[in-house]
Amino acid sequence: MIWLTWRQMRAQTLWTAAVLAAAAAYILYLAWDIRDAYRTLVTECTTECDQAAHYLNDEFGMPLTLLGLLLLAGLAVFGAFWGAPLITRELEAGTHRLAWTQSITRTRWLTVKLAVAGGAGVVLAGSVTLLLTWAVSPLDDLADSRFHPIEFVTRNAAPFGYAVLAFTLGLAIGALARRTLAAMAVTLLAFLGLQLVMGGYVRPLYAEPVTETVTMADANTVGLIDGLALDDSGATVMGYTIPGAWVISDEMPVRMADGSAFTGDDADDCRAANVPPDECMSQKDAAFDVVYQPADRYWRFQWTEVAIALGLSAILTGAAYWRIRRGIN
Amino acid sequence: MNTPVIATNALTKRYGPHAALTDVTLDIPAGRIVGLVGPNGAGKSTLLALAAGLIRPTSGTVEVLGNRPAADAEQLARVGFVAQDTPVYAQLTVADHLKLGEKLNPRWDPGLAEERLRQTGLDPAKKAGRLSGGQRAQLALTLAAAKRPELLIFDEPVAALDPLARRSFLQSLMEFVADMDVSVVLSSHLIADVERVCDHLVILAESRVQVAGEIDDLTAAHHRIVGPRGSLDELPAGVQVIAAEHTPRQSTLVVHDTTGGRLDLPGAEPIGLEDMVLTYLHRAEGPAAPILQETAR
Repeated sequence: MIWLTWRQMRAQTLWTAAVLAAAAAYILYLAWDIRDAYRTLVTECTTECDQAAHYLNDEFGMPLTLLGLLLLAGLAVFGAFWGAPLITRELEAGTHRLAWTQSITRTRWLTVKLAVAGGAGVVLAGSVTLLLTWAVSPLDDLADSRFHPIEFVTRNAAPFGYAVLAFTLGLAIGALARRTLAAMAVTLLAFLGLQLVMGGYVRPLYAEPVTETVTMADANTVGLIDGLALDDSGATVMGYTIPGAWVISDEMPVRMADGSAFTGDDADDCRAANVPPDECMSQKDAAFDVVYQPADRYWRFQWTEVAIALGLSAILTGAAYWRIRRGIN
Repeated sequence: MNTPVIATNALTKRYGPHAALTDVTLDIPAGRIVGLVGPNGAGKSTLLALAAGLIRPTSGTVEVLGNRPAADAEQLARVGFVAQDTPVYAQLTVADHLKLGEKLNPRWDPGLAEERLRQTGLDPAKKAGRLSGGQRAQLALTLAAAKRPELLIFDEPVAALDPLARRSFLQSLMEFVADMDVSVVLSSHLIADVERVCDHLVILAESRVQVAGEIDDLTAAHHRIVGPRGSLDELPAGVQVIAAEHTPRQSTLVVHDTTGGRLDLPGAEPIGLEDMVLTYLHRAEGPAAPILQETAR
């Protein structure tokens, strides 16, 4: 059965390996390029060293985001092209009636197919993401934004979980839909939809976020204020960045450290003042509350994400087994 | 060889509201070549897929060689199945298929497989997708036969073949069956084929079994009786009327004598297999139904 599975997927494996080899070559080139720029701008830096992160981001931000999105799309495509046709192609050609009447149970048939095709696919996809993780690590370290939605799912352990999920999603949808093209399309959409749901609604729930009061005086040492809005009713911090952490709040009303209100009059004072508004506000002893997931929760979040992906995969695989054991003619 | 090859009890399979097989109770004895005949859509494929364990019954039971179909690898090894349209892996070569058979079947007989390949002149290096219908059927038969099963099931093996390929396929089927100790069940809508190769018959129509038995017994027990109108109103016990046609002057009956003795009625004459089958199919379709083209050859 292992032989048959391999014989059936030989062509697609070679194709996939060729595409991935090209991707790996590009990532290696990028890794070399990144390290070259990093050496010039950071290690051997002489002037404007604090701007290095900006320069690097300008140069590599775009290809990096694209690579991340491509990797996600690649996982979806893996599910659609490897997972979905695994059963449907047999059903469409009618060859399941040949395979299922050999001296091998359907359970075993599916198990071997799953293990060989899924295993090979996950190893291939996983090695590319590990290569990517390594290639861009100097920039990731510098940017310190590991919770960024794309960065989070395309580095370290999460892509392995998602590779398994994409594959089993395709498998289960294929077993239920029984038609290759429909199953592929649904798999693509379902996987990308799942990504949005996980990032937007599920991931924030892994741990109770921390709420911390940051005084204006400390604001730019703890993290970085992205923007400040002052108006007649008071002031609001528009976005706040803490290195390595995942800041949940996006608009944080400013108040006095003792709890009293930062009024419109206070805001007027600061607008009229000659000093930058954040300096004026720290003189007035203003503060704001920020809700965030601390940086040291990264691995906890990664493994939770992997566990959820694997749990869903187990359910989907169970559905596929259930479907083929019931029999399809 | 006393266990029936296929035994069903009130076997029913529904697809949604549509009944593919209704209340089928059958005992097919071992050591026969059984023909399963009926028009398309009668439930032949459903019955055979149930026997092969590809699908599960909605209700009722089916046992093959005394066990639940496809219960485990051992049971699968005892039954060879050639599905309708003889599916093969288009991308795999003929030799790949034999290797597949060898790897997936513990009782694989490589000598038989190679011998059959030589007889049928199949090129081992050829991709199965490039074979003609007849060659593909031969490959599927080889695969099922070299598995050395106790029961071979064929679902419409010759339906898609031209007359020449059909003849040679049935020829090699019969040769092969004569050589080894195997029971065969094959479905067909061509009565002539069944008459040539089978010794046991099951007639299926409208999802129900109409009649089943040894072909010789069935033809001996079915009669056409022509007599003056009214003279045939009273028949001996155990004689069932399958079809009746009346003109103002005379009546024509087709009857099934289930007593096992000799029917002693004036005007009774034997009826051929084809006429018998058609009578049953006609009855199943309802009195107004026209005789099916495909069975009326």
